Amino acid sequence: MDLSPLGMAAPSMKERQACWGARDEYWKCLDENTEDASKCKKLRSSFESSCPQQWIKYFDKRRDYLKFKEKFEAGDFQPSKMTAQS
Amino acid sequence: MLLLTRAPKAWHRLFQLKALALPGTPGGKAQHVRYQPFSTPGPAETGRQDQPQGPGLRTRLLVTALIGAGVGGAWLAMRAEKEQWRRQQRTEALRQAAVGQGDFSLLDHRGQVRCKADFRGQWVLLYFGFTHCPDICPDELEKLVQVVRQLEAEPGLPPVQPLFITVDPERDTVAAMARYVQDFHPRLLGLTGSTEQIAQVSRSYRVYYSAGPKDEDQDYIVDHSIAIYLLSPDGLFTDYYSRGRSAEQITDSVRRHMAAFRSVLH
Repeated sequence: MDLSPLGMAAPSMKERQACWGARDEYWKCLDENTEDASKCKKLRSSFESSCPQQWIKYFDKRRDYLKFKEKFEAGDFQPSKMTAQS
Repeated sequence: MLLLTRAPKAWHRLFQLKALALPGTPGGKAQHVRYQPFSTPGPAETGRQDQPQGPGLRTRLLVTALIGAGVGGAWLAMRAEKEQWRRQQRTEALRQAAVGQGDFSLLDHRGQVRCKADFRGQWVLLYFGFTHCPDICPDELEKLVQVVRQLEAEPGLPPVQPLFITVDPERDTVAAMARYVQDFHPRLLGLTGSTEQIAQVSRSYRVYYSAGPKDEDQDYIVDHSIAIYLLSPDGLFTDYYSRGRSAEQITDSVRRHMAAFRSVLH
């Protein structure tokens, strides 16, 4: 993983694919454990070491969004809960 | 002259016919066979008493029709000329737009200066992104080069030039662009430049971009509009493809534009 001191070099194609793979593994674990992150600690650390920090933040946000979208489309929307979160 | 001596009878007949067609024509003998409905039949009208609408009317209708056709023809010719003029005006306007619109001066990933005119004569598929992009840019570029490859495989189609322009000029140097584009397609050209040059080209192509906050690694993500643009060999916007379009859909669209294309530049 090319984490140069400045963190400037963009990940190569191989590095990107490694990151996406680790992310997918982690997300699969979350799917299987109803978002219980404590059950997926190992995959989480693997994910964190495969991807730049900015990407981890980005993918976490993306995960939140995708889950929210799922809930919304399934009609589980709870207004009071949402205003508390946002 | 010969005709006159040889066929005086034919001439006489013709003269009669003329007199019938144009009532009131001056001429001594013609007066006698002037068209008069229900009058006593003259030599030329024998056996036509029950048909008041004789050759006279038919001939008159013929003449009217000829005049009408003449007028109609003239009108159509004028209309066609007006259409032609309008087409020329539009062509001229498009030609001017092709020259001025969306011009840029950027560095490609080999360090060469490139401007829009360099791509004249080629179909271009253009994408704006940045090399530090987590997933969208690689996905869109992969889709773009897939379209290029599909079209390359079809005989008789001109090659499409894939272009990638960065919206992150601070980090995406010539070297960074070179490292990035090599993973996609040998002909994919990466373009970068100064902050001003990138701002200018993004403006011309109506691309929104905004660098996010930097973290402790000085890393950041650039939020930007996502679209693949198709430029014609005249350098004009022809179409754009959003994230939802598949490679097959884009390939079909490009193929159709290629078939319909007529250059406005000489």
